[in-house]
Amino acid sequence: MIELRDVTKVFPGGTQAVDGITLVVHEGEFCVLLGPSGCGKTTTLKMINRLVPLTSGTITVGGRDIQKLRATELRRRIGYAIQEIGLFPHMTVAQNIATVPRLLGWRKAKRRARVRELLGLLGLTPVDEFLRRYPAELSGGQRQRVGVARALGADPAILLMDEPFGAIDPITRERLQDEFLRIQREIRKTVVFVTHDIHEAIKLGDKIALMKEGRLIQHATPSQLLAQPADDFVRGFVGTDRTLKALRLTSVREIMDSGPLSVRDDDSLAAARRAMDRLERSFLPVVGEDGLFLGWVGRNSVLGPPSVCVGDRITPYAVLGSPDMPLNEALALMLESATGNLPVTDEDRRLVGLVSFDRLFESLRQIYVEREAGEGSP
Amino acid sequence: MRRNMILFLLLAGLLALTVWTTSLGRVGFFTMAPPAKLLAALREHLEIVLLAELCAVAAGIPIGLILSRRSFRRGAPILSAVTSIAQTVPTLALVGIFSILMGLGLRSAIVALGVYTLLPIVRNTYAGLVSADPAVKEAARGMGMSTPQILWRVEMPLAMPLIMAGIRTSTVLNVGSAAVAGMIGAGGLGEIIMTGVSLRLVEMVLQGAAPTAALAISLDRLLEIVAGRAVPRGLRRPLRREDFGRT
Repeated sequence: MIELRDVTKVFPGGTQAVDGITLVVHEGEFCVLLGPSGCGKTTTLKMINRLVPLTSGTITVGGRDIQKLRATELRRRIGYAIQEIGLFPHMTVAQNIATVPRLLGWRKAKRRARVRELLGLLGLTPVDEFLRRYPAELSGGQRQRVGVARALGADPAILLMDEPFGAIDPITRERLQDEFLRIQREIRKTVVFVTHDIHEAIKLGDKIALMKEGRLIQHATPSQLLAQPADDFVRGFVGTDRTLKALRLTSVREIMDSGPLSVRDDDSLAAARRAMDRLERSFLPVVGEDGLFLGWVGRNSVLGPPSVCVGDRITPYAVLGSPDMPLNEALALMLESATGNLPVTDEDRRLVGLVSFDRLFESLRQIYVEREAGEGSP
Repeated sequence: MRRNMILFLLLAGLLALTVWTTSLGRVGFFTMAPPAKLLAALREHLEIVLLAELCAVAAGIPIGLILSRRSFRRGAPILSAVTSIAQTVPTLALVGIFSILMGLGLRSAIVALGVYTLLPIVRNTYAGLVSADPAVKEAARGMGMSTPQILWRVEMPLAMPLIMAGIRTSTVLNVGSAAVAGMIGAGGLGEIIMTGVSLRLVEMVLQGAAPTAALAISLDRLLEIVAGRAVPRGLRRPLRREDFGRT
């Protein structure tokens, strides 16, 4: 746990970078420090590992006042990753990752095992090859992975990250964010993460601390921040499309229809017509005997002699959703497709549910209703 | 490959010139230095160069290092000015001054040459340490390295290519300047050159000058190989002209 109490930083020369911040980051929580450049978020981060000395206030890490610890010891217990990465160019990937373990005096065998574990965790495979490489022999994305692996080197409980994905191309950045989320679910570190990117903050954070001119403006979960902005600054910062951003926070699984909504390919057209009438739908997904999604049948295509099977009238269909997909992506897929329906399948292409526009609007309305209620209450 | 070929040809030419001048034996009234004396002079020359270089390295790296520390950085321009000025003083004058201060002989020659060739080492050490990527240093600090650990494990290895380039420059400079040491009785190939000059005997000047040049080229190439080994693998790249600075 990290606790900042009335933390202030005045730089020599009189610039007030941080002004009386009080903030608690709980064990295993992912806290994003968000704000425009110059708002003091990086300074706040660097005060936690004493790269920047604080002017007044107290910071405790794991219940201990950081001023009472030796700076080097404190830092060895806290992982640190920065945008510029700062890999040691004269050391191999393995040596880079083993930096803190070496400072802590771990034995060679233990260091080596840890390096291998981390390379595997961050997807730098084949491990044996990456071990020996030098930073100059890596791509930007790979370097950033090594940077994160190095921060995790000695398995610290706390991780400080200063825009670690800021300098990477958007596609690689998305992928690294996804992977980091996956890793974080596994390792459950207490993370303080600096960014100026609202999308990144919403995607990664359990909590977001929005800062402006050295002050903490709002500290809330991403959905609270979107639903109940504390003031005009927050409203402006999260943007007028906050409803669309909120879609990102809900997964398809939460709103999909998972009832019996499909017909089998060996059903007769008559059975399909009956099913459409019963379910009041003009399109139905078709699955095979094994539950695999095959395509759609529409009301027009099921007209015909009852002896014909549904399987002969299938409209094949390529756009599929997955249960873990956020709603913003699902919406995009639905807009692309003509049917306004998104079949949701598992990894084996087995149909598990269905999302329709109606369903999506309904869930959006719920968010609004909750929001109105939330804004009404104190 | 082509460079090696040129160096080899040059070296072969210089050696041929040395052998030819030595084989002349007598020119007019005068006797050229016999082979044994030439070899002895070469050995002395090498000794002077190596000892002076040792002094320059031993003093230059720590000076460069101290200057690169944050609290001394303000002093850096001053010292760099001082060493630059010291280098504009002709070698001849510098060796002369030291021979007056410390007496004639090997010792004052070595100190004078050491001082004279300090500059490239100081400057390159300083430049190598100061130019280290700030992000790398910040990462090192953020991970809990102490100041000496950052210096020895990060900054020094990163500065190594430039430091080695400085040592190379200074060594080559030293070989040429050491010829002047002959003037104050320190021996070396300079003595043969000086004798040749005073006798107005071009052949004898060449007999001393050709092996001096050959020595400079060989030492430079040798140090290039050594430097290649001393530089950490991740940093190896062909040196650029600016690595050597002004000389």
